[in-house]
Amino acid sequence: MSDKKKVAMDDLQVSALAASATILIFSAIYWTVQIQSVREMLEMAYG
Amino acid sequence: MINQAVYSFSVWLDSLESSTLLHESFYMYNWIESTHVLFLMVSLGMLFLIDLRMLGYAFPNVPASKVAEKLSMPMFFGFAVMIITGLLLFYAIPVRSGQSLWLRIKVVLLIAAAVNALLFHWRMKRSISSWDTDAKAPIGLRLGAVLSIIFWVLIVICGRLIAYDWFDCAHGQSGLAGVLAGCIDGQAQF
Amino acid sequence: MSTASLGSYYRTIITVAVVLLATAFLFSSLRVDAWVGLKPFFEWMGTTWFGVIGTTWGAVFAVVQAFHLLAMALMGGAIIVSDGRLLGLGFSEMDEREVLDKSHTIFSRSLAVVLLTGIFMACGVAMKIYYLEVYWYKMLALSVGILFTYGIKKPLLAKSLDDISPLVRRAVALSSLVVWFSVAGAGRWIGFSG
Repeated sequence: MSDKKKVAMDDLQVSALAASATILIFSAIYWTVQIQSVREMLEMAYG
Repeated sequence: MINQAVYSFSVWLDSLESSTLLHESFYMYNWIESTHVLFLMVSLGMLFLIDLRMLGYAFPNVPASKVAEKLSMPMFFGFAVMIITGLLLFYAIPVRSGQSLWLRIKVVLLIAAAVNALLFHWRMKRSISSWDTDAKAPIGLRLGAVLSIIFWVLIVICGRLIAYDWFDCAHGQSGLAGVLAGCIDGQAQF
Repeated sequence: MSTASLGSYYRTIITVAVVLLATAFLFSSLRVDAWVGLKPFFEWMGTTWFGVIGTTWGAVFAVVQAFHLLAMALMGGAIIVSDGRLLGLGFSEMDEREVLDKSHTIFSRSLAVVLLTGIFMACGVAMKIYYLEVYWYKMLALSVGILFTYGIKKPLLAKSLDDISPLVRRAVALSSLVVWFSVAGAGRWIGFSG
């Protein structure tokens, strides 16, 4: 495998890792906020 | 006779406190319904992939027995979740659901799909060694796969139509629609 | 880092730039401006043939919605199989290349049906969804899902699978599952809202 090809593979993997990390972090925040708001709503509804 | 029994049973279910609690819950009913719908991806998703493999459209280079074996486990898990959530949805609104024309058609189609799946499984087991690596299953099994897809398309359509009240007994159905929906003369609860 | 090597990481640079721009857009007043600017478009959606049919014939809307769900089921099945294979969950005896390529084809075709039926449904309830926060989360998740699948996952998996590190494989599979689950979950919630 040439050096150039190795670098191209690395770029694909690094970009995939960056995108995946962004998705996982944003999703974790989004779903945490959603769960929190549901908990608050349930507390208001049922005490 | 059957309609009266279904109605009486539904009215009894409706009188249970947990049924009312579930129906009037703030989120629980919606979560159960969401789980029911989202698990289509696990149950039907896997089933369609198995059917498409038999028709030669999905994973034609993977042995059919391997596809069926590997996808069956998540498929059965998905169907188990759908049955449980489906029963809970019925339990939350028993009288209306018991007299839903669409739910009744859906149940008949579910039985037909189950019989078709059993026949399919039996036929496949008997003949698999002769065509396992072929891109397409023999014609009889392909017919079974097409029937399976048709049944499930109709089941999902009926499931979606349950939400609509066109044939609800509360609207005073007469004739065939009233009989098929199981409306009872002078019924007090809807 | 030389300019040449920076150039070799163009995908990473574009990915990070898109993430930063999208984040800046979401947390700035531009988001509200865009939302206000889209109102005439949603009003127009309601007046199209799709919008008129969707609002006039409940049965047509319901049947289209059923096909939306059926396509979603198949799409979800393809995602579970391909990402499950990448995560090493249960499909290990099936050839990886075959599973990933065929799953992607099935995914793409079902996505096309999901999008077409989704556009029809959106026209039928255009003003309802315009004011629904969860609809916009769904659109965000859908856009991210499409960009991720075709811009990141597909090119990555087109390469030799043995050259991809286990960490990247798992991260990509997990993000794919999470983003498409978010799309489906938010979509289901639209039905309960408004």
